[in-house]
Amino acid sequence: MPVTPFLCVITDESLCPVSLAEEALKGGAAMIQLRHKTASGSQLFAWAVAIRKFCRQYHALLVINDRLDIAMASGADGVHLGQEDMPAAVARKIVGKNHIIGVTASSVHEAIEAENDGADYIGLGHIYPTSSKEKINSPIGIETLRQASAILSIPVLAIGGISSENAGLVISFGASGVAVISAVSRAESPLTATRGLMRAINPKK
Amino acid sequence: MEHNKRQGRVIPRIYLVSSGEEKSENCSRLMTQLSLLPHPFPCIVQIREKQLNTKELLRVALQIKALALSKETIIIINERLDVALAASLDGIHLPESGCTPAILRPLAPKMLFGCSVHSLEALRNAEESGADYLLFGPVFETPSKRAYGPPQGLQLLGRISHSTSLPVFALGGITPENAAYCMAEGAYGIAALSIFQETTRLVDTIERFYNIVTP
Repeated sequence: MPVTPFLCVITDESLCPVSLAEEALKGGAAMIQLRHKTASGSQLFAWAVAIRKFCRQYHALLVINDRLDIAMASGADGVHLGQEDMPAAVARKIVGKNHIIGVTASSVHEAIEAENDGADYIGLGHIYPTSSKEKINSPIGIETLRQASAILSIPVLAIGGISSENAGLVISFGASGVAVISAVSRAESPLTATRGLMRAINPKK
Repeated sequence: MEHNKRQGRVIPRIYLVSSGEEKSENCSRLMTQLSLLPHPFPCIVQIREKQLNTKELLRVALQIKALALSKETIIIINERLDVALAASLDGIHLPESGCTPAILRPLAPKMLFGCSVHSLEALRNAEESGADYLLFGPVFETPSKRAYGPPQGLQLLGRISHSTSLPVFALGGITPENAAYCMAEGAYGIAALSIFQETTRLVDTIERFYNIVTP
């Protein structure tokens, strides 16, 4: 896993994932999550191979949302699993120790369960209100983040409504990093937005 | 290689595609269909439920694996090699827009890889990529009127079947009445969705197909 605190940028369906990833990597993101729910298998594979090349260049990690098959085939570093995806324990049996498995959790309970299932990191959220995904539940807030970060021994990434304004605060509440979608993908300049987030989580740099 | 064997498995000649309308991981329609499958007539069963999430798909695959099916029946799933690996299924089926067998085979050397083909060009690609069998269609108008485009006809089925040594399944509007025409064009077997959903006649339908497709 990357040196903490780190930034994970998740691709958005409205932009070309490859160019978005390239901007994010230039800006300092240590992890890219390729997430696209409607793309065909061959399209996802092609994107994954292209992004993986950039990730190697920038010494960053690539994880694929949900599609463990694409992750394995493309040589990505791992997979990111939501609660509606394959359980982490099942995925771990398939890929062994060599792949990173991230899991989305929206409570301390889910986060602990994912760690016990063999997850390498948790995406915990949504912390704040967010426009990126259809969310029916209310935000879980930074107190839940503080609890989960204190209990878990694997990195906890804060996700959901994270911006350069609040990223520093969630790190101070124990997050090992932040994961963002719209804060980068919908910014006028994804590169500038990424740099802003990097400054917010690493104020001394 | 024997025409009817791939990866050491005998390829059945009847191919059942799931409805694509299952509402949840219970997959009641598919479970009913499978529980009715007569043992003497092995089938390929393709789980094709794109509307289900991965967690639900995995549950469906595991439920099917737990059924007492004919040993020669082959269970495959659309695209998802990860789910196939997790549930120890027999193979995966790849649409033309999917990954290729060549990319995926190294991850699962013993699995069967089927490919949908809608043209001679796609046939070449699938062959070069190492497909184990091909699904061609729609041959006729389909009752389900799925987004497969207009019927491609028996003539192209014939050209495809005679251009390859791989087993070719005819899909799209296939009935016991027209299946013999597909076989006459060189098809290896027949594939269908809708006709297998009439579960009261399922055993009879399969028996009738079996008598037509068995050489």
